[in-house]
Order: sequence, then structure tokens, then C-alpha cells
Amino acid sequence: MVLTEYKPTRSQLLLVRRTLRMAERGHRLLKLKRDALILEFFNVLNRAKEIRSDIVKRYRVAEERLAIAASVEGKVGVKSAAFALLKTPQLELSSRNVMGIVVPKIEAQSVRKGIHERGYGIIGTSARIDDAAAAYEELVEDIIVAAEIETTMRRLIEEIEKVKRRVNALEHRVIPELKETEKFIRQRLEETERENIFRLKRFKAAGG
Amino acid sequence: MEIAVVGNEDFAYGFQLAGVRKTYGVSPKEMERVVEEIIQDESVGILVLKSDEMSSLSLGMRKRLTSLPRPVVIAVGGEEEEDLRSKVKRAIGIDLFKT
Repeated sequence: MVLTEYKPTRSQLLLVRRTLRMAERGHRLLKLKRDALILEFFNVLNRAKEIRSDIVKRYRVAEERLAIAASVEGKVGVKSAAFALLKTPQLELSSRNVMGIVVPKIEAQSVRKGIHERGYGIIGTSARIDDAAAAYEELVEDIIVAAEIETTMRRLIEEIEKVKRRVNALEHRVIPELKETEKFIRQRLEETERENIFRLKRFKAAGG
Repeated sequence: MEIAVVGNEDFAYGFQLAGVRKTYGVSPKEMERVVEEIIQDESVGILVLKSDEMSSLSLGMRKRLTSLPRPVVIAVGGEEEEDLRSKVKRAIGIDLFKT
């Protein structure tokens, strides 16, 4: 399809050629960006898969240990031990730039605690609660890592999709249309030139 | 910043043992409202949701949660999220989570 906003003049031909060159350069650069993003994505993917399977396992273990603690101590006993906890996991959320994409960077403190740091009495509670608390601390630790990795992966995949769409639009629509327009203007200009030569020859023949 | 946990009662209270204070044991109906409150709470850095209950949130809310810079949202209690999996499939062309 020929772009109709271009008139078949020499200045328009130069403009179309310039736009075409820019579109081709942009296409090349975007393809490079897409490939680099995919490479980065695969690096993150392996880590994300590992951490996700860890979370699934740890969550199952934590649930089991919590159920055991609740059956031994009662739900109220577990809850009262939880209320006695002094330290809460503290996060520091910042951002970093991965190839132009802003991804979160999370640093955590006080996730894993020793028995004496938990705040509830050792004598008053059973070891089942300690086991459940330790399992949940490990789970929270993994969740913090996974939150960072999975969000990075999500942002990367969104950017890949966006870049891919742009590459496809340039490759299959913009560049072919510009080429077609360039061809159309070139042919029209050549045609006009041929008409002029023919007209001049006719004048010359009529004058002579 | 802190971690917030939203899910059913049984899901949420376990996290209290790890020292998480902001745990919300809610029904799927109330989930949307609680999540909205957490989004407004600037002290929450990570929002943990139960993966099978995440689907009870409206599509608009789910999209909003994935695009917000804070809190970082993560679903726990299941395999990879279905929308993430389909996004990967759409962008890369193959299902990379297939085992």
C-alpha cells in the first residue's frame, strides 16, 4: 500500500528515503535489543524456576509443620506464640535498571531468627512451634528472593513483547510501505522526466 | 518496609510465626477491598497472595498489581501463575514452564 500523504516530488522522495533509512536502522537496533532481552530473560528464567519449585516445597513443609503445631498446641497456642514475636522482617525496596527496564531490588533484614530472638518463652511452648516458625521464616526468605526475580522476569517479558511488536510492525508494515512509496515516487518522477523529454522533442520537431 | 499477606485464614496466620504483622485472613469477596487498602499503604513492600485465590480478584486489579512499582506482588501456594506462563508463551513462542 502506498502512503498517500507523500506527493510524488523530489523533496518527498528524499524525505521518504531518509525515513526508510531511519526505520531500517531502528529495526536493526530493536532486533538487537530483543535478542539481548531474550538472553537476559533466559538467565532470569532458570533462577525463577528454581526458586518457584523451592517455594512450592517449602510452603508444603511449612503448612505441614503448622498443622502439626496447631494439633499439638491448638490454634490459639500457635497464635499466641506468633503474637509474642518481637522482630518483623524489614525490607528495603529500591530499583535497578536492566537494559532500560526498571526492576525492583529487595534487601531484607530480620527474616531468620534464633529461638532466643523470637520472643516467646521456650518452656511455655513446644518444639513444634519452633519447627513451624523456622519453616515459615525459610519460606519468607524465599518469597523475598522470588518477588524480586519474578517481577524482573515479568517486566522483561512485557518489554520483550513490546519490542517484538515494534520489530514486527517495522518489518512487516512500515518498511515495506515506505519501500513501496519510494518506488511509487521514483517511478512517477521518472515518468514525468520521460514526458518532459518527449514534450521537448515534440517542441523541437515542431520548431525545426 | 514490611510484608503483607492476604489469603484465607489458614493461609495467613502461618506467616505470623515468621514475624509478619500485616496478615489478612479474608474471604474471596473481601479480597479486592483489602488489596486496595494494601496498595494505598506505603509501608508495604511485598504483597503475598494465595495463588488460587488471586483469581478471585478482578482482571483490572490483577493487571494493576503487576504494573505497580510498589508493592511487589507474589503468589504463593501453587506453580507458576497462569498469566505469567501465557505471557511467556506469547512472547517467546513456546511454553518454557512445561515439564
